[in-house]
Amino acid sequence: MNEEDAVPIDMRQLLAFLRPTPPVLDEDTADRLLTGRLDPADAPPGYAGVARLLAVAAAPAAPEELAGQAAAVACFAAEVESHPPTPMPRRARMPSKLFSVKVTAVVSVVVLSVSGAAAAATGLLPSPARWVADQVSPTSHASSTSRGQGDPVTGILDSPGLDKATSAALCQAWQAGQGASNGNRADSAAFRALAAAAGGADKVAAYCQAAADGGTNSSSQGQATATGPDAAGAAKAGLCRAWQAGQGGGNGRRDDSVAFRALAAAAGGVDKIPAFCETTSTSAHGQGQGPSSPPTTLSSPVTASPPASGPPSSTGRGGQGQGGPPTTG
Amino acid sequence: MIGPSFPALLSAAQGGDEQAFAMLWRDLQPALLRYLRVAIPTAADDLAAETWMSVIRGLAGFRGDERNFRAWVFTLARHRTFDWHRQAARRQTDVMPVELLGDRPPDDPAAAALEAQSTRAALALIAELPRDQAEVVTLRVIAGLDVADVARLLGKRPGTVRVLAHRGLRRLARRLESAGLARGVTR
Repeated sequence: MNEEDAVPIDMRQLLAFLRPTPPVLDEDTADRLLTGRLDPADAPPGYAGVARLLAVAAAPAAPEELAGQAAAVACFAAEVESHPPTPMPRRARMPSKLFSVKVTAVVSVVVLSVSGAAAAATGLLPSPARWVADQVSPTSHASSTSRGQGDPVTGILDSPGLDKATSAALCQAWQAGQGASNGNRADSAAFRALAAAAGGADKVAAYCQAAADGGTNSSSQGQATATGPDAAGAAKAGLCRAWQAGQGGGNGRRDDSVAFRALAAAAGGVDKIPAFCETTSTSAHGQGQGPSSPPTTLSSPVTASPPASGPPSSTGRGGQGQGGPPTTG
Repeated sequence: MIGPSFPALLSAAQGGDEQAFAMLWRDLQPALLRYLRVAIPTAADDLAAETWMSVIRGLAGFRGDERNFRAWVFTLARHRTFDWHRQAARRQTDVMPVELLGDRPPDDPAAAALEAQSTRAALALIAELPRDQAEVVTLRVIAGLDVADVARLLGKRPGTVRVLAHRGLRRLARRLESAGLARGVTR
């Protein structure tokens, strides 16, 4: 204990007030503090508490912070399912202007030949570069040919927020859980994602309805050869993947969640899930189910360049092309 | 940070490998969640989930190293916070009222942060900083980005980022002192 302990409390506050504010740190000390390399014991006067505070803020992950893993992996699986990955050819250092001109031309040609002028009228130019690259590149993976013909067309119909397959899966699971008084439903990360996409938990029903309507509309409008979102297949596939991902993971909540109870119900029992999912993985494939594609900013230089953020929804600061990465160098 | 195995992990995830994706997720999710808890405490979990949606959609097209990847993920997260603010303004709903922030609960987060070693309380304390300072401190301390990355991400000059960090640190130091904890922590 030091002598300050003996000072009455209000006196101590007065002293704190009179004391000069903590000194300005030199650059090196500040950097060590910010990167967790400064032991509180070595901190300049007034900064030991900050060093400890920042260490606590950057402490190793707590279990509750990792609770959403199964849902995240399920979303990932749904995206992979609806949009089989193909390696993107290296486009680095291609002059961006030249590139975008080429792409524009090629997109027009491909669109016209694949799906007719009607689809072109929907404005394909900002379409996913990944798809474009698949079509354009001579090095493109064989799987690009195996993807459904309607795929690029339905890809245009991205809905903001969640991609179609994911929201279809979540909506179905959500609807399946309606009426069942399950406290988990609203809490799980997956359903919170759904609620976020819908604009609020109370809007999920309307959102799911709209999503279902949208799906019917788009297929009834004769979207080339697209088969329309196979909600059941996608949902099943997503849930199955999530279920499989959770296998052996010791995830106690797995069997309890509405989504998995829906899966169990569809399968005809918890014990029948493996067999049920077995059939899903083959049948729900390659349906061209309105996937969302990563819209890449075509005109941006590509070195070490992540794509733009998914949904075209955001408008504000950063404008379009936001999510565009901080360019290096 | 994942380190040397990052490129392999990334390309596996880009190829659709769920385990690889899960490892990327586990590595970044805590930092992402904490960044968002400082930015928008009431919606951090939702925004983290939305951020991952964007990551998942854009993953196949991503090119870059681990540093670029982290910067990209936090860029996406930051844009989700902008979206959230816009929507909140439109809905005129419960953005945390300023009075509420000034009205400190009896358990001062400063005290809680240091005494209980609580990450949540530490984040709450950082969240009291002016927004730009809080953001710089979080991106440096929690996201593990360097000055150059943060400057690019925020669209500010590196010098500005340094100044904001200094101000944030000083303010935190004063805040901890005024909470009467200086004695406890300088001992």
